[in-house]
Amino acid sequence: MTGRQWASGIGGLLVCLALWQVLVGSGFVEYDLLPSPWTIAGGLATMVTEPAFAVEVGHTLAATLIGWLAAVLAGTGLGAVLGTSPLARRYCLASIEVLRPLPAVAFVPVALLLFGFSLQMELLVIVAPALWPALVNTMEGFAGVPQRLTDVAATFHLKRSTRLLRVYLPAAAPAVVVGMRLSLSLALVMAVVAEMVGNPEGLGYALVREQQALHPDLMFGYVLVIGLLGMLLNGLLVWGSRLALPGLFRRPVARWDSA
Amino acid sequence: MEGRASASAVFELRNVAYTVPVREGPRHILRGVDFALGAGEILAIVGPSGTGKTSLIRIIAGLVAQTSGEVLFRGRPVAGPPEGVAVVFQDYANALLQWRTVAGNIALGIERRLDRAACARQIERCLALVGLERHASDYPWQLSGGMQQRVQIARALALEPAVLLMDEPFASLDAMTKASLQDEMLRLRGETGASFVFITHDIEEAIYLGDRVAVLRGRPGTLAETHEVGLGALRDQVATRAAPAFLQLRQRLHGAIGVHA
Repeated sequence: MTGRQWASGIGGLLVCLALWQVLVGSGFVEYDLLPSPWTIAGGLATMVTEPAFAVEVGHTLAATLIGWLAAVLAGTGLGAVLGTSPLARRYCLASIEVLRPLPAVAFVPVALLLFGFSLQMELLVIVAPALWPALVNTMEGFAGVPQRLTDVAATFHLKRSTRLLRVYLPAAAPAVVVGMRLSLSLALVMAVVAEMVGNPEGLGYALVREQQALHPDLMFGYVLVIGLLGMLLNGLLVWGSRLALPGLFRRPVARWDSA
Repeated sequence: MEGRASASAVFELRNVAYTVPVREGPRHILRGVDFALGAGEILAIVGPSGTGKTSLIRIIAGLVAQTSGEVLFRGRPVAGPPEGVAVVFQDYANALLQWRTVAGNIALGIERRLDRAACARQIERCLALVGLERHASDYPWQLSGGMQQRVQIARALALEPAVLLMDEPFASLDAMTKASLQDEMLRLRGETGASFVFITHDIEEAIYLGDRVAVLRGRPGTLAETHEVGLGALRDQVATRAAPAFLQLRQRLHGAIGVHA
């Protein structure tokens, strides 16, 4: 996004917040437990000074990242094998198509039964669904490498490992990165879900705790923090992939808003 | 074709046929293709689209196996891409590694064989051969089509190939760029002594570049006839194209392909 897009976007957000503030503040809309943005900001300000807050953020962040890393390592690895081997695809695609559409939250009771209220439970709930976007996108990235590039790799007599790492992987990289991004946002969602119903730690548990304690300002505060965490993680990943693959992601794309 | 002894042939194809299985049954792409490529020679193969030109290049390059017949490189059957043969493809955008700079692309075939200094020297030499000295650190997508095709040619030359197989390399370029790359190719042949198989659908281009021109036609495609060009080694975009021998051959080839001049 350009600077101007950011400015306009933030402007739109401010208008919505002002509208909310006016509607709730004036008593035009009356809910006992719907605080105004101003009240939420106050709750957020006290919340972040609590020592427990850093622990909660740390827990959710760690669980998300560990689960995501495991999902991405397994997903891209398997995806690369499936994408480069039509034989492997033929034998595995049916299983993938059966397992993949299983709703992510359906793993929660399964994981609870297996591991109880624990970090293992949380990690299983994260890894099982976050695996698929990484796997499927990587597979399609590798399977979609243009025949011309495989021709080039063959006529240049590149070794198998060189072909894989220096030609096919970079060619598939945009798809791999898309898979990693989808996995990351899913990993955060699943971490919060797991903490809400299973592992009583982190931001998800804090959210439920404040809801049950009838602290709507703090509850909304946690919702906001979870959202910001998601934005931050995605931004870091995009920034990192641009840094790692300068030739791929700096390519100027025709923009729909260039006028 | 008998005029060239097959002992001196770099590439030799004998009765090559190529068939691919499709849902409706076998599809015959090529049949009865024979030719011999002499050392230092440019053999132009001209044919309309759909006659199996790209399949032919991929068979010669060892990228796909013929269904029947023989493909010999220096007298030995080709099984996989032979050492000393480089290919330049028509679709440079797919053939170049878009995430590597121009220099990085040229390094692709040599970075694991030469030490760092030798590799850098070779890149520099090949960049100079195609006139891209000032674009070593550009990415392919920052260059025009003609320049990208030069990168692909430089990358092939870096291998110091004995044979260059070119599949309609200038087909998607504008007339001016095409003419200058044609002259560059003739100059490079003079400097490197390499042999070329040059596939094109452009009759004039085939005559301008070729020592011999073979006609590929029909479905399945077959090499119908081969003509000596006989225009000498020195060619000129204006004078050569106006020479009576050029015009005569152009007319004969138009007739052979079935298009009227």
